[in-house]
Amino acid sequence: MATDLRISNVSKIYPGCIANDNVSLQFKSGKIYALLGENGAGKSTLVKILSGVVSPDNGEVFLNEKNLKLSSPLDAKKNKIGMVFQHFNLFETLSVFENLSIDATEDNKSLRVRINEILKKYNFSIDLDVPVLNLSAGQKQKVEIIRCLLRSPKVLIMDEPTSVLTEQETEELFISLKKFCDEGILIIYITHKLKEVLSLCDEVAVMRKGKVVSVSQTQNERVETLANKMVGQKLAKIKKKINISKNKDEIFKVKHLNFYSDDPFETNLVNLNFSVKKGECLGIAGISGNGQNELFQILSGEIITPDTSIIFRNKEIAKLNPKQRREYLMAFSPEDRISQAAVPELKIYENVALNNFKSSNFFEKGLVNEKKIKEHSKKILSDFSVNTDNVELKSQFLSGGNLQKLILGRELITAPELLICYNPTWGLDVGAINYIHETLIKINNQEKSTILISTDTEELLKLSDRIAVIYKGKLSKIMPSEEVTPEKLGVLMGGGSID
Amino acid sequence: MSLDISFIGILIGSIMASSVPLILAASGELITERSGVLNLGVEGMMIIGAISGFALMVITDNLFIAVVGSMLSGVIISIIFGFLTQSLLTNHVATGLALTIFGIGLSAMLGKNFVGIPGKEFPILFSSLKESIPFFGPILFGHSIVLYFAFALPFLTNFFLKKTKLGLVVRAVGDSPVSASNQGINVILVRYCCILYGGAMCGLAGAYLSLIYTPQWIENMTAGRGWIALALVVFATWSPIKVLIGALIFGGITILQLHMQAIGFRIPVQFLSALPYLMTIIVLVVISRDSRKIKLNTPTSLGRIFYKEK
Repeated sequence: MATDLRISNVSKIYPGCIANDNVSLQFKSGKIYALLGENGAGKSTLVKILSGVVSPDNGEVFLNEKNLKLSSPLDAKKNKIGMVFQHFNLFETLSVFENLSIDATEDNKSLRVRINEILKKYNFSIDLDVPVLNLSAGQKQKVEIIRCLLRSPKVLIMDEPTSVLTEQETEELFISLKKFCDEGILIIYITHKLKEVLSLCDEVAVMRKGKVVSVSQTQNERVETLANKMVGQKLAKIKKKINISKNKDEIFKVKHLNFYSDDPFETNLVNLNFSVKKGECLGIAGISGNGQNELFQILSGEIITPDTSIIFRNKEIAKLNPKQRREYLMAFSPEDRISQAAVPELKIYENVALNNFKSSNFFEKGLVNEKKIKEHSKKILSDFSVNTDNVELKSQFLSGGNLQKLILGRELITAPELLICYNPTWGLDVGAINYIHETLIKINNQEKSTILISTDTEELLKLSDRIAVIYKGKLSKIMPSEEVTPEKLGVLMGGGSID
Repeated sequence: MSLDISFIGILIGSIMASSVPLILAASGELITERSGVLNLGVEGMMIIGAISGFALMVITDNLFIAVVGSMLSGVIISIIFGFLTQSLLTNHVATGLALTIFGIGLSAMLGKNFVGIPGKEFPILFSSLKESIPFFGPILFGHSIVLYFAFALPFLTNFFLKKTKLGLVVRAVGDSPVSASNQGINVILVRYCCILYGGAMCGLAGAYLSLIYTPQWIENMTAGRGWIALALVVFATWSPIKVLIGALIFGGITILQLHMQAIGFRIPVQFLSALPYLMTIIVLVVISRDSRKIKLNTPTSLGRIFYKEK
């Protein structure tokens, strides 16, 4: 039976922000629909409304002309709307089977039979009796999908499903989604990745600032047209000139980096060796959870490992803490902006002071020199085009992009010789990403070096001079980026080997 | 004193009796914490259970009503905690501490007229077998029904958490309340139930003290046992069987060091009094070393306020 889902004049207003402004959309089974938009465009709110997590202030949702009252996730389930969230709704400490059985109405025996049928039908391989925390992100997502399939859904909503997947896993997911679509399930695919929309979806709706700005057939669209609709303005293209820097000095050299941990949430690192030349960007690719966190913490000095040698500007710095490393002109931009890079409750100028205890004269005789810090902060805000000039603002009220600009500005204003950043554009929208990328290229042009640890393949190919892949705590060989293709990276990121 | 075999039997029997309040309170708190709620009011709920059990026994002269009443009083006082933390979203730690202070104060006020009144003898089961079988008699027989229940409780708790659907729901809520809520589980309701159950068990633990173990009312008679129960849950890494082991070690060393003091060992009394605390922590730390298992047993959301989006 055909399914017809209609959203009619839905609005949702949060204090200070209109998340959905009179949104009307129509979906029919047999097609895959894309819902495209930048962060904060209102996609997630719309999805939360469809899955009953939040209720709209205005408007209605119709399934096959039946008005749905979606006041809780249970209502969505009852009406056969399945949902795979971007942040998985799984219980990490429970086994896969326990996760699936928690809302099942049948007994465990017949449930197991049904799960195994689904595993076989779609060629999924997952051990049902291991705790979810042992699974890869791709497997976790499959568990989420199985959970939806067990309820034979009419509508399946996928919220940014590929942000944690490898190229191969993404292809597998697309094959599965097409199968589901052929079986008559209506699929709504939420993303901000333009290429995915073009390769997977039949129709695309673009959202901007809470409104639907366009609905069109994907065959009539190109990456550029969609990007312009999404951002609302024309974007400049960035491409880095690759540094042929064979004869340049090595500024940073790591030898015998090993890390062992008992913690099941951490990854062990096995004998990492690499070096960075002056003015070069070394990219480290990999799917999250393969040791990037640990690597970043060791490079920044948060974790000190024995027997590791780190030479920076001809000095041994392996035993130094982050503050001491900064004094040798290293700078760091961690992945988690809100809890690692900045203190959200502190004001902008206070956050600026945090990493500059010694090099500047912010502190005199143990007292804070507010005036100097504020002047300094104002300079950062204007130099790095942060969208505010109020240094008294609490950092938590900055958007992700502005906060990242502030953090980069804070790190770069000391003119470091080496910047180590981990997923610097994670979760940012196209405009902010462009700005950050331009900044990182500019550093390299000034003969300063960068190490870019990132899960975004496109970003790595755009910015790196050489690229290595980290998989299960081991580093692949380092390749000049002109020899690297997204396919090659995908294979290495999934644990395969090339050549 | 001769250390003959029947004396050791009696000794073990008394060790078991002294661990009962710890097992009851800790098993109750374990379920509460497994759902992600940290209730530091155990001591307060226990002492309220102790006074209401004793008062009801004096007033009604019926031990059954006294025991059930003490559990109900534990439930009622834990409703306050549940309402504050789950409905008004107050901080778990502060609310729990307030509950303990409130409980101790209220029990002292209510108990003023009950000081010095002698308790009633609580019926014991299989008393004839206790005398007739050497060694095993005093261990296995001649105890109150509450003791048998207490020793079954950790196993029942383990079964509940690992094998039943409801136990799975409790663990899921403790692991990730947001995910559970998105799966259509009523997180607040589950947590309320766990809080009330914990209150009932703490009330029963208090009643065991004032009706069975030392049948009388003395102000502040729980004497920190609630805090020990709380510590047991954490050091046993939320495993019911390890709670039982910890409670027995604590009870055991408490009794043994009293005997050692009586015999006159040349060890400072202060050290002997500190021994139970020390040994319990050491043993539980040693048996709970597997960091993987700790991760799997620890309720990830413990003590965090859950707020449902609207």
